[in-house]
Amino acid sequence: MTNNPLKRWICLGCGFLYDEALGSAEHGLAAGTRWADVPDNWVCPDCGTPKHLFEMVEIPYAAGQPALRPAA
Amino acid sequence: MNSSFVLRAGERGYDKFLSTGDSSSYIAGHPEATLTRHSSFNFGPYQGGRKGFGRLRVFGDEVFSGPGCGYNIHRHHNFIICAFVLKGQLTHVNTVGNIDQLTAGDYYAFSAGSGGKHCELNLKNEDTNVIYLWILPDQLLLPPSYSRGRFDPVYERNRIMTLVGNADGALRVSQDVRISRLATDRAVDLDYRLSAKGHGVYVFVLEGEAKVNDASLSRRDSTGLWGAGESIKLRTGEEDADLLIIETAA
Repeated sequence: MTNNPLKRWICLGCGFLYDEALGSAEHGLAAGTRWADVPDNWVCPDCGTPKHLFEMVEIPYAAGQPALRPAA
Repeated sequence: MNSSFVLRAGERGYDKFLSTGDSSSYIAGHPEATLTRHSSFNFGPYQGGRKGFGRLRVFGDEVFSGPGCGYNIHRHHNFIICAFVLKGQLTHVNTVGNIDQLTAGDYYAFSAGSGGKHCELNLKNEDTNVIYLWILPDQLLLPPSYSRGRFDPVYERNRIMTLVGNADGALRVSQDVRISRLATDRAVDLDYRLSAKGHGVYVFVLEGEAKVNDASLSRRDSTGLWGAGESIKLRTGEEDADLLIIETAA
């Protein structure tokens, strides 16, 4: 277990957001799944951009987002 | 990423897509419409250049050739997509609720935010030339939005006009960027004053020739400057010139 804070990754092909805290249940990634543990052959579910063309971002959420908040 | 550079027109990435075959679901138009894209920064198949400039990630100089050519409706999140029409007509449709037709001088800012789809089309026989910019937002999953403006290169000639950012009459976006345009019909010397120390400026020559600080630039050349101080010097050529100036936080 690492003490690194959970991070957010954005697809440079379309802007799809992967938040480690939220995971992506509909794409088989449980909440808390680190980016490093996302399979290397995973692609953006919206546009097909490969995993290595995502960028880690340190951008806060807008008010009221994310709609589904991670458990405290 | 934060070093100054000059990027010549011919050094940009180049991709060509047909509306048939493998890219038919991506590219609109029939039959055999052709979309070309010169990229200043890495985007899509082009990954041999710079990652971006400050908050700017995509700078595409695109031509839609053939009736119906463009991008079929597709999904985005987060990015603020700005389009500046240089030539021809662009039909833009989005899920914010807009069906818009833009011609040379028109521009828009489409913030995809929490999710939005759009479609970009040339419905005419004449080619459409558009500059597309993608900007990272300062907040994730904002409510999607769309706004448009118009730049008049005759009425607004020989002065720097801010089109996007925090300025009178400019389109507001949720990011610390300022997009301006300078169209001249004679040699003009101007200082572009940065709105904040530490910002960078990316200058792209749409038409004509210009000197930006010490760099001499021709049509579709560009330069990115960091650490330029409070202002940068712009000098346009004797013939008509047209510059797009993007100021961004690092």
